[in-house]
Amino acid sequence: MTAFSPDMAASVAGSRSRIGQQLVEAGVVSIGQLQEALRLQPVQRGKGDLIGSILVELGYLGQADLLQFLFQQFRKERLAYQVVPAEEGIIEFRGIEKILDGRRVLDGIDLVIPRGKITAVIGVSGGGKSVTLKHMVGLMKPTRGSVLVGGRDLATLSTKELSQVRRRFSMLFQGGALFDSLSVFDNVAFPLRETTGLSEEVIRHRVERALKEVNLAGMGGKFPDDLSGGMSKRVALARALVTEPEILLLDEPTAGLDPIIENAIHYLICDTFMRTRLTMVLISHAVPDIFNWCHHVVALHQGKVLESAPSWAIAQSENPVIRQFIRGDLEGPIQVI
Amino acid sequence: MTASIQRLGRTALGVIREMGRMALFLAKAVGYFFLPPFRPRNLLRQIHFIGLRSLFVICLTAVFSGFVLSLLGYYTLSRFGSSGLLGPAVAFSVIRELGPVLSGLMVTGLAGSALTAELGIMRIREQLDALEIMGIQPVQYLVVPRIQAALISLPVLTMIFDVIGILGGYVEAVHLLGMSGGTFIGAIELGMTDIGISLVKAVTFGLIISWVCTYKGFYALRGAEGVSQATTSAVVLSSVLILVSDYFITSMML
Ligand SMILES: Nc1ncnc2c1ncn2[C@@H]1O[C@H](COP(=O)(O)OP(=O)(O)OP(=O)(O)O)[C@@H](O)[C@H]1O
Ligand SMILES: [Mg+2]
Repeated sequence: MTAFSPDMAASVAGSRSRIGQQLVEAGVVSIGQLQEALRLQPVQRGKGDLIGSILVELGYLGQADLLQFLFQQFRKERLAYQVVPAEEGIIEFRGIEKILDGRRVLDGIDLVIPRGKITAVIGVSGGGKSVTLKHMVGLMKPTRGSVLVGGRDLATLSTKELSQVRRRFSMLFQGGALFDSLSVFDNVAFPLRETTGLSEEVIRHRVERALKEVNLAGMGGKFPDDLSGGMSKRVALARALVTEPEILLLDEPTAGLDPIIENAIHYLICDTFMRTRLTMVLISHAVPDIFNWCHHVVALHQGKVLESAPSWAIAQSENPVIRQFIRGDLEGPIQVI
Repeated sequence: MTASIQRLGRTALGVIREMGRMALFLAKAVGYFFLPPFRPRNLLRQIHFIGLRSLFVICLTAVFSGFVLSLLGYYTLSRFGSSGLLGPAVAFSVIRELGPVLSGLMVTGLAGSALTAELGIMRIREQLDALEIMGIQPVQYLVVPRIQAALISLPVLTMIFDVIGILGGYVEAVHLLGMSGGTFIGAIELGMTDIGISLVKAVTFGLIISWVCTYKGFYALRGAEGVSQATTSAVVLSSVLILVSDYFITSMML
């Protein structure tokens, strides 16, 4: 293990390069290489362009090695969370009820989403997962109860304040929700162009990087109608990531993708998380796989929260509904026609 | 008996609620007219969309309306020995009535329906939600430029209709019915009021079309059926409103 000189540590800390420090400490790259990468790191490129990718660009480290390393670090942190869950919440539901078309879709949901962690929402199809996610950004308003983001009740905000709160979020919709009239590139660039004052050059750089991350480099000229389902999902993911949000909501990011791309997306999620420390809420049917990927799990059933706990606790839950769901049994409390 | 009264009451309440929602929608849109950020490119694209879609059909309609007005007018007027008034008769009907009304109906069918379908599809594919998440107001971003574009395009299209309609009447009268060109043109006396009325109608119809069509698309119900229903009801409602308001404007300004 390489020792860190105090001023080296300071310069690394100043550049927010926690990963860089860990890479050096693990002996993956040398101090000299890290220093060179730090010198090259352009400040204006945003949080996404962190030291790891520059080291890869310089050829000091393979992309796969970097991902592997990030994932190991992530595992350590995730396991720590299983023992001592975080206290602090960023999104809070208080007694949420939602009636849609006369049906009670959410029935008294109390929920805390931990800040700076990955939370997975699981549950049977039609159980209200997407509706829950939409409540977190005020796209749907609860029939009863309140939603708090950072301690502020969404219902009390003015339109302008709500817009400001929403800009802290990004959301990947279950159906992608790409704009049909815009090309792939323009779709990903859209939130940057409309809501930031960034120059076109910076935007192009960030969009190209985001497309590369989801394995769609060079596809910017296509239109959403020409894409396969899995491709449009990845474009939508790139659009959600490109703004470097504080809170990322993903509605089934890997549904309909082949296993290789699914794995790559999981790595990308972990990678993004490690670099930016954002709060993530993701809906997924990939159980029990997903328990390796998230700190916290919320199990929803029939509009109620069955359990909200660190992932290992859910994985070992005694609750018959959760157990049936994880095992995919046909017999059990969940009735299958 | 009570059941049918109840149903009637429920329908009436539904209609009133819908009217209230429509009014609020328009008020919200108009509120954004003067609020930044302005997106002139969006506006230009919409003007292009409405204008280009409707221009050819409007010209075609105008020519044939001119033809038929001239033809019918000629036979009617010549019975009373006043075929010399054909020019003013054609010009008067085209400018005050046919120009704005037919342009309005054509734009409704061509651009209005497309507008509703476009917004409806954006609604059911959650694209409007996606805009909201980005902190962009869909009404401001999508509805406002469409209403403004209609307010600008319809008067222009109406003017084009007016000119081409009168030209069509002229061609019919002079080249097919053998009237002298001087008689046709010379007798036309147009005041500013005629043109004013044409423009007032055009602006009103532009507002009706864009308001009704964006509203219906914006609140389309889920599923492909929701969008087709929205499109149909947008076309029907704005056509009816055009004809009704045409009557009131005409009777007020005659
Ligand atoms: N806009 C809406 N209007 C009326 N009903 C709705 C609406 N959105 C969702 N629902 C209903 O709410 C219920 C929950 O829907 P939701 O989309 O949250 O399910 P889900 O848990 O995300 O399922 P899936 O895993 O299949 O995506 C469903 O019965 C659905 O029909
Ligand atoms: Mg869903």
